[in-house]
Amino acid sequence: MSPEVLLGVDIGGTFTDFVWTEDGALRALKVPTTPAQEEGFLAGLARLPAGEIERIVHGTTVATNALLEGKWARTALITTAGFRDVLAIGRQNRPSLYDLTCDRPAPMVPREWRLEAPERLDSRGRVVRPLDEGAVREIARRIARGGIESVAVVLLFSFLNPAHERRVREILVEEGVQVPITLSSEILPEFREFERTSTTVMTAALRPVVERYLLRLSQALLSRGISAPLLVMQSNGGVAGTAEAARRAASLLLSGPAGGAIGAKRVGAVAGFANLITLDMGGTSADVALIEDGEIALTPEREVAGRPVRLPMVDVHTVGAGGGSIAWLDPGGGLRVGPRSAGSRPGPACCGRGGTEPTVTDAHLLLGHLPRERPLGGLPPLSVELAAEAIRGIAGALGLPLERAAWGILEVAEATMERAIRVISVERGHDPREFVLVAFGGAGPLHGASLARKLGIPRVLIPACAGVLSALGLVSADLVHTYVRSLVVPLTDVSPERVNDLLAAFRREAEGILKAEGVPEGARKYRPAVDLRYRGQAYELSVPLPDRPFSAEDLAELESGFHREHERLYGYAVPGEPVELVNLRLTAIGEAEAPALPRLRRGGSVEGALIERRPVYFGEGWRETPVYAREKLPPGAELRGPAVVEGRESTCLVPPGARASVDAYGNLILEV
Amino acid sequence: MDPITLAVVGNALAGIAEEMSAALIRTAYSPNIKERRDRSSALFTPEGDLVAQAENIPVHLGAMPFSVRAALAAFPEWRPGDIAVLNAPFRGGAHLPDITFVAPAFNEGALIGFVAVRAHHADVGGMTPGSLPARATEIYQEGLRIPPVKLWREGELDEDILGLILANVRTPWEREGDLRAQRAAVETGIRRLAALAGKLGAEALFAAFRELMDHAERRMRAAIRAVPGGTYGFEDSLDEGVTVRLELEVRGEEIVLDFAGSSPQVDFPVNAPLSVTASATYFALKAVLDPELPPNAGAWRPVRIVAPEGTVVNAGPPAPVGGGNLELSQRIVDVVLGALAQALPGRVPAASQGTMNNLTIGGIDPETGEPYTFYETIGGGMGARPGKDGIDGIHTHMTNTLNTPVEALELAYPLRVERYELREGSGGRGRYRGGMGIRRDIRVLGHRAVVSLLADRRARGPWGLEGGEPGAPGEDFLIIDGKEKRIPSKGTVEVRPDGVISIHTPGGGGYGPPRSRPAGDSNVKM
Repeated sequence: MSPEVLLGVDIGGTFTDFVWTEDGALRALKVPTTPAQEEGFLAGLARLPAGEIERIVHGTTVATNALLEGKWARTALITTAGFRDVLAIGRQNRPSLYDLTCDRPAPMVPREWRLEAPERLDSRGRVVRPLDEGAVREIARRIARGGIESVAVVLLFSFLNPAHERRVREILVEEGVQVPITLSSEILPEFREFERTSTTVMTAALRPVVERYLLRLSQALLSRGISAPLLVMQSNGGVAGTAEAARRAASLLLSGPAGGAIGAKRVGAVAGFANLITLDMGGTSADVALIEDGEIALTPEREVAGRPVRLPMVDVHTVGAGGGSIAWLDPGGGLRVGPRSAGSRPGPACCGRGGTEPTVTDAHLLLGHLPRERPLGGLPPLSVELAAEAIRGIAGALGLPLERAAWGILEVAEATMERAIRVISVERGHDPREFVLVAFGGAGPLHGASLARKLGIPRVLIPACAGVLSALGLVSADLVHTYVRSLVVPLTDVSPERVNDLLAAFRREAEGILKAEGVPEGARKYRPAVDLRYRGQAYELSVPLPDRPFSAEDLAELESGFHREHERLYGYAVPGEPVELVNLRLTAIGEAEAPALPRLRRGGSVEGALIERRPVYFGEGWRETPVYAREKLPPGAELRGPAVVEGRESTCLVPPGARASVDAYGNLILEV
Repeated sequence: MDPITLAVVGNALAGIAEEMSAALIRTAYSPNIKERRDRSSALFTPEGDLVAQAENIPVHLGAMPFSVRAALAAFPEWRPGDIAVLNAPFRGGAHLPDITFVAPAFNEGALIGFVAVRAHHADVGGMTPGSLPARATEIYQEGLRIPPVKLWREGELDEDILGLILANVRTPWEREGDLRAQRAAVETGIRRLAALAGKLGAEALFAAFRELMDHAERRMRAAIRAVPGGTYGFEDSLDEGVTVRLELEVRGEEIVLDFAGSSPQVDFPVNAPLSVTASATYFALKAVLDPELPPNAGAWRPVRIVAPEGTVVNAGPPAPVGGGNLELSQRIVDVVLGALAQALPGRVPAASQGTMNNLTIGGIDPETGEPYTFYETIGGGMGARPGKDGIDGIHTHMTNTLNTPVEALELAYPLRVERYELREGSGGRGRYRGGMGIRRDIRVLGHRAVVSLLADRRARGPWGLEGGEPGAPGEDFLIIDGKEKRIPSKGTVEVRPDGVISIHTPGGGGYGPPRSRPAGDSNVKM
């Protein structure tokens, strides 16, 4: 291994993927994921060629798994007196309108550990009731005795004045509390107490889990002589050092999808596309996200496992449509697909592991989209008989020939994905026809062309390294840290000094962190922004600020920028109506140099890549269709649909009337 | 029609309804629509039958078809660009703040269906801000009544009608913004429905409409078949004695709900127009029989509602109706659930809080000198379910709107929330415990305010089932200098500077005998 190796390690549910640079080329390796994630990590590492590693970038599901499995730290929450149940009441809405058996997720801190501090600030941050320090000492002693592993402190209006939260922390420390203490004014100084409480509690409860994991991993790396800095992928599409990642543990919840979005963005960039809709379809679900002008669309808030997390995250929309999604008939005889999935055990019926319910994969096999009686990507040969048997029941009930029923399963699954794509595009003010669809994941390339046609998307990109796209995203990612502070003042009352002071404070903190993470000064970038709204509105829009001291003259430009953005997104603006500045934000970026993607150097011909011809069903009927081996197609190769292109990790369907070409990097580009 | 196309078209129609609601949320101005999401969207056949509806607010579930029918009755002729607007409760509306838009969709010059969008507007005039006056004795006091009128004709806004509407509301600018947002949502629906018809052809679209309704009907009939035949009676009432009486008869694949014997309409605002009674009835049937039932006209073909005119469940002019939508609707659900509990023991939960605890505070902000109006609803206890406790502090049945965050409230109004917590011990005891109610205390800062409350289940708590005890009734107090004084649950009080309004919402009923609850599993604490 040559020096200056960049290594990306992405731990998913099934596989741990490695991507690294070697002699300027990218290499990849997959090993099975282990229950203790660092074991799979180290096992894979042992198989890499020896050499000097410059930097390791890691994507992990350790925070997500802890949340989903309920294995978070024993956490105490300190609130303003009278408000300990904010965490339990939430926004007082229920998750399902008609399902009388539905439940909200249980609060992450049970009531006995939601403790009340007598104190109160008003809506200007002024003290209405001083902090009762004696009562806080009492609470501290209870926490110290109680086997608590982490503490969250969320007091009302602390985003305007953090003094009481800080004093609570001091008292806790004085009274011997040695576990991590997370203040809402440091994690999320934004108004709306439930979302702030939920986010702060989640951060506190996951922090020990993430801290312990990263510590074990760092020590294991050190003991193998690897002292390269370890960076972790966050939900916002940027990476952070281990200390910052642990302190903001909830910012790792979408680590995996964020890596995938960056990988797609990188591949799109080299293929010459900056506007992308990504479709990552795996065994149980499909994730869709949007990239506009090379910027990954973020959402300021989303629910994770039913609980709101208000941190900038990749705006990924997930629906229950995957290769293992089960087709079924509802009580009125209507065909439905998902969200229930056969998963990997028992898996689709055609796998012969005991599954009997028809799945999306069974439908593909029956229609000739997947190879019959021939192993595929490490799986044993799939059985058409078992697939047919599973689909027969539905076909009979619908009164359809087998292949029509199978085609119907695919159509219904695609209707679900089509709606998901409309949610992240049309409902957010984007026209999908101006985007390229990037289809990856085990099942994505089977549906990419068909979905693109339904949405009027002209082009589909099937990345060459679709199987390790997330890991590729890791080695391409910048370091990103975000800061926010709620002000909630009329724009006309904004004091430029105050804005500059706050931005300078954010910047000082970010600078220290980026420096500690080894980012040279020239690679540090800062993007200030403000969230604005018309007075009385409940939603804010983010408008960028110039990266220089803010002056009173900028206010007018800011206001007109807001009207323009409002017009673009919502279809109208109201010049003259008072505008409020809600939040001040800073995004600090440490730019990383992304490794070049390898160009395809092989020769060969389309004919040479032909594996077989077989009948394949495409809605209109069966067509004798050529099947090509993806790894034998040379750059510049052109195909006309109908065709099937089989890769190691996925199979791509080129429907009749579509054309496919292989670009210089081995990406398949479909004109549909 | 082949079942695959049908499934895909069904999905597309539901998607169009959702997209209309998303467009409304995106472009609406007032927090009531944008943040609390008090709105609904739906698609209809050219004959006015409901074919798809977004999963929004249950109280709009059965009510939208009444609006479309009223608009169709008022206007025999429709042209592209026409939009009818209405809120009149006895002509297609529910209560006055809910304004509904109805507009036709065309493909190649031929009518292919209608779209409708309903939104709760923060004010439509009348005797108090917010247009839900608790002291109204007739509908004229509740605000401006809009019978079906074409606000747009062939795309042209009728400025005269708009001017008339805006002249009668307290916040005309906000109303104009929300009306514009409703139009944007309507146009989204029209565009998408026309595109779908263009792709499929109008005949195929109509065939899909028919099949989707037939499919929902089959599902509903299958669900009813599983209910033991017979007649099941139940009655329940509001605190003032207004009674909802029901005989629910299951006959094979059909259900008749006869509300004969319910109280005559009253001169305070809890009367329900028939559209509200239909919504509440459909909600309860769908929730118990088939929560995933596609809500279209076919689903309700096997259901017949009999509600005598002039009673609280089918009120006529001049009855005030502001709280029919909010309070009586919850009692109608309770009554249908109570009857179904006899037919299907083990399938129906105990009574939930049965009220929305509508609270309106208005006054002059002492710092700005400007008038303000604040409206919110407060969650309570959900009834215990067969097999599990009820949820604490949550909105149930006919509403699911969000709360106003304490920090958002205090940033916007001269008020301070002093407590927002669960009422320990308020859940009805039982093998499974009812959900707990909420206590919310709000201090009026440095000014006099007028506080209106429209709430129920203060006299008797929500009932338990199968031996479970009732939940605690709600209580409401005015606290001045630490002294509590009880205030009426339907009425208006004036609050002195720094007085505190304290609302305690009901707990849910318990399920099963309390003695069978496992030891150590507290029936009081959580």
